[in-house]
Amino acid sequence: MRTVLISFLAAVAASMPAFADDVPEPAAERSALDAEVQSLRREVVDLNRDLFMLEEDLLFPASTQIAVFVSMDIGTFFALDSVQVKVDGKEVSNYLYTERELEALERGGVQRIWLGNLKAGEHEVVAFFTGKGTHERDYKRGTTLKVEKGIGAKYVELKISDRVRKLQPEFLVRVWE
Amino acid sequence: MALAAFASEGTAAPDFALSSTAGTNYRLSEHRGEVVALVFWASWCGDCRQELERFERLRRTYGSVGLVVLGVNLDQEPERAAALAGAAGIGYPVLLDSGRDVSKSYRADDLPLIVLIDRNGAIRARHDALDEREERGLLVNLRDLIDE
Repeated sequence: MRTVLISFLAAVAASMPAFADDVPEPAAERSALDAEVQSLRREVVDLNRDLFMLEEDLLFPASTQIAVFVSMDIGTFFALDSVQVKVDGKEVSNYLYTERELEALERGGVQRIWLGNLKAGEHEVVAFFTGKGTHERDYKRGTTLKVEKGIGAKYVELKISDRVRKLQPEFLVRVWE
Repeated sequence: MALAAFASEGTAAPDFALSSTAGTNYRLSEHRGEVVALVFWASWCGDCRQELERFERLRRTYGSVGLVVLGVNLDQEPERAAALAGAAGIGYPVLLDSGRDVSKSYRADDLPLIVLIDRNGAIRARHDALDEREERGLLVNLRDLIDE
């Protein structure tokens, strides 16, 4: 529905300059029309944003919302290939990383790998990290976390960092309220 | 992987991420702004080699003006795909879809299948094995997309 509405408004906005081109008009009138088109385009963008937020609120209410994020600190000892996330034994995400995405993570980007709903109570979140360790060796590591889901939204961060003393990667799980 | 919609002409190309025979991962949406040709193939498909070679020629001709060619291989053994791609002299990435999730989303029931995707990420044409006349049609489609 949202896509249809936005497409329609975008089509209207896009068609306006074409219509203006057909009939010669004074410069002032043309400039007013351009401003109107720009304003309409801005409204479409704003509307899209509001609908996106409304959709998120409806689909993932705070009372049941849980989100899992991936971040990376340096990553010298581990070249990430993919992350698989399981919640209560069910796979909810399996993400393959491209070089561009890894660069973004290394520069401090945080990726939301999964957003879902869980009812209140205890849940098990398991994350499997696959990639290459030191000396180009295949490396797979899993971490498990018991999450107590309360009334508010829950945020889980999966962080890959370097344990310099042991020359090993480290996989940390952190829960944010 | 979400396979909500089947890929047909005029619709948005379903996004995917796959590993290549070289071990690099590719995501289709990272090629927004470029014209993408997906070539679905397998080692057991007789007509596929001809298309692989054709698209290598096209890549060499149009690569500098924004054409990206991605081979999508359906074999279960990556070694087979790599060997055949090497023998055919392919310089573009060969992505491994042994789980066949991507080929299902693109309805690649008959091989070879060529899918042309425009700079906005929409599917603009689908072709199977090409004869001479169809090749001319493909070239027209391709040049139009590059000119857009």
